[in-house]
Amino acid sequence: MADFYQTGIITTLHRLGNPSLERIEAELVEHAKARPVALVLPALYSEFEGKAMPGIIAELAKVRYINKIVLVLAKASEKEFANVGKLMSSIPYEVRIIHNDGKRIREIYGTFGRNGLDPGEDGKGRSAWLAYGYVIADGVCDVIALHDCDILTYSREMPARLCYPVVNPNLDYVFCKGFYSRVTDKMHGRVTRLLITPLVRSLRTLTKDHPFLTFLDSFRYPLSGEFCMTTDVARVNRIPSDWGLEVGALAEVYRNYSPRRICQVDIAETYEHKHQALSAEDPNKGLMKMTVDICKSVFRTLASEGVVFSDGFFKTLQAAYLRMAEDTIMKFEADAAINGLTFDRHEEAKAIEAFADGIGMAAQVFFENPMGTALIPNWNRVTSAIPGILDMLKKAVEEDNR
Amino acid sequence: MEGFLSLVMEPLREMLLKFRAFLPGFLAMLTIVVLGLFIAWLSKKILTKTLNALKFDSWCDRMGITALMRKGDLWAKPSEVTAAVIFWLLAAVSLMVGLNALNIQAIDNLVNKFFLYLPNVFSAVLILFVGYMVSGFLGRAVLIAVVNSGLGYAKLLSNSIRLLLSVLFLSMALEQLNVAPSIVISAFTIIFGGIVIALAVSFGVAGIETARKIIEGGKTEAEKHDKGDVEHL
Repeated sequence: MADFYQTGIITTLHRLGNPSLERIEAELVEHAKARPVALVLPALYSEFEGKAMPGIIAELAKVRYINKIVLVLAKASEKEFANVGKLMSSIPYEVRIIHNDGKRIREIYGTFGRNGLDPGEDGKGRSAWLAYGYVIADGVCDVIALHDCDILTYSREMPARLCYPVVNPNLDYVFCKGFYSRVTDKMHGRVTRLLITPLVRSLRTLTKDHPFLTFLDSFRYPLSGEFCMTTDVARVNRIPSDWGLEVGALAEVYRNYSPRRICQVDIAETYEHKHQALSAEDPNKGLMKMTVDICKSVFRTLASEGVVFSDGFFKTLQAAYLRMAEDTIMKFEADAAINGLTFDRHEEAKAIEAFADGIGMAAQVFFENPMGTALIPNWNRVTSAIPGILDMLKKAVEEDNR
Repeated sequence: MEGFLSLVMEPLREMLLKFRAFLPGFLAMLTIVVLGLFIAWLSKKILTKTLNALKFDSWCDRMGITALMRKGDLWAKPSEVTAAVIFWLLAAVSLMVGLNALNIQAIDNLVNKFFLYLPNVFSAVLILFVGYMVSGFLGRAVLIAVVNSGLGYAKLLSNSIRLLLSVLFLSMALEQLNVAPSIVISAFTIIFGGIVIALAVSFGVAGIETARKIIEGGKTEAEKHDKGDVEHL
């Protein structure tokens, strides 16, 4: 069983005892009448050919408190889009599929581009951002939940626990991040365990506990792709379009809202999804790209908060990170030993070396271009630049789904 | 035998003569049409480049013209649509001019009617364009005025004004195009007349109490003044 310790400066909602899913869902059905919920699912077509998606669809079909599912489908032809429509038809409530590669949505992206608004490269960040725009345009839902579509251990408990803190008006959080343990016969989540946590703690040492780092360190799984927020948060937040999406989103929430209205919730006993290869040699793919993008996002957020970076700072950071990460390996090794999990210390050490190189690469990129790739503009700015864009987006999605 | 041969050859000879008379006109028509299509294609290319250089698409996005096109499920860029319209207009003109070269009476009449109708089309398009701008402007002005005055139903009023003006300008455009003018005028009269009567009745019924208060308030003020100018606390 989990403990009930409150971590850091945000609220942590644990899994204590045997919480009843039926009770949570009954309450959600009631509260969702006043605060309708939209579930955003960024997905590739290839995920519909995998093992996870059928299970997710089957579970979502049993959910009664979600008003609408907005599925953003990328890398799919017209025929594949129609196929996905048939697969999602088993869900008894409204489903809208945004065909990212369709002619209408491509024209919407073209409209952004010619008005100087850059929604970034094709990826999860851009897909999620477009889905938020559709939910805002629809004007029906007050809460947006989001999770990935490659979760092998999916159950409807996940969206229930994820939505509960935001939907329940007595709790009234504006943003809720999911956390979980990624454990099978061994510990997964290398980037969170071996990069994010040691990096943030090293930076805290060097910056004398900068408030943003204290905030970031409060999250048990900051790279979790599962979160829930109010529609207002989706309207004002600016998010990165690369792998720095999760950290960048947390940074925006930190800037715009008080930590008292932010929480994290234990959403699953166990969580399993696709694993990326380390690809230590290539900074443009795999976990290395993720490492570089995440580090860039952290550095730029800190820079915007007034932290001054220098060559000496980054050298010290790399040394501090390596030391902290090596200590972290020892802790996880002990944790794995007592729980009978497989633990390959050499692989973990190789990962740390690769992540240290990644930090160096990110520092180099940061020095060359401190401003970096612009964040995706928030929807308030977009509607100011193109007044009818939300109606256009809604029309495009409705026509695609006709 | 010779008689039979001449009976067979005579129609063929006549047909050949007619064909020889028709052929130059036909070739002229083909030449004009092909040349016209080429000019139309060239104009489309030049216009597209010019509109892109002028950031026409971006202007249409901000003016709401793109949004109007999307409502009609038209998803091409405004510059592409404009260039396509010009292309087909020039193609139609070149076809009409080409047909004129055939020197056939019935076709000549059709071509004349086409060219006489073109100014109506241009003026109808202009009416619709101006009408769209005016209705948008007035709708926004009403919205701002009503919001600033603190009255309710600002968006409803603004949308109503926009709708009424759109109906007015659409009727003007249809009348310009001579599309069932008597029906358009009758329908417009009935709709607008009905709206005005409904407003008058609703204002009259709802405003009875207010009117009474205003009148009674006016009477009281008049009586006060009659009593004299001296007032004290």
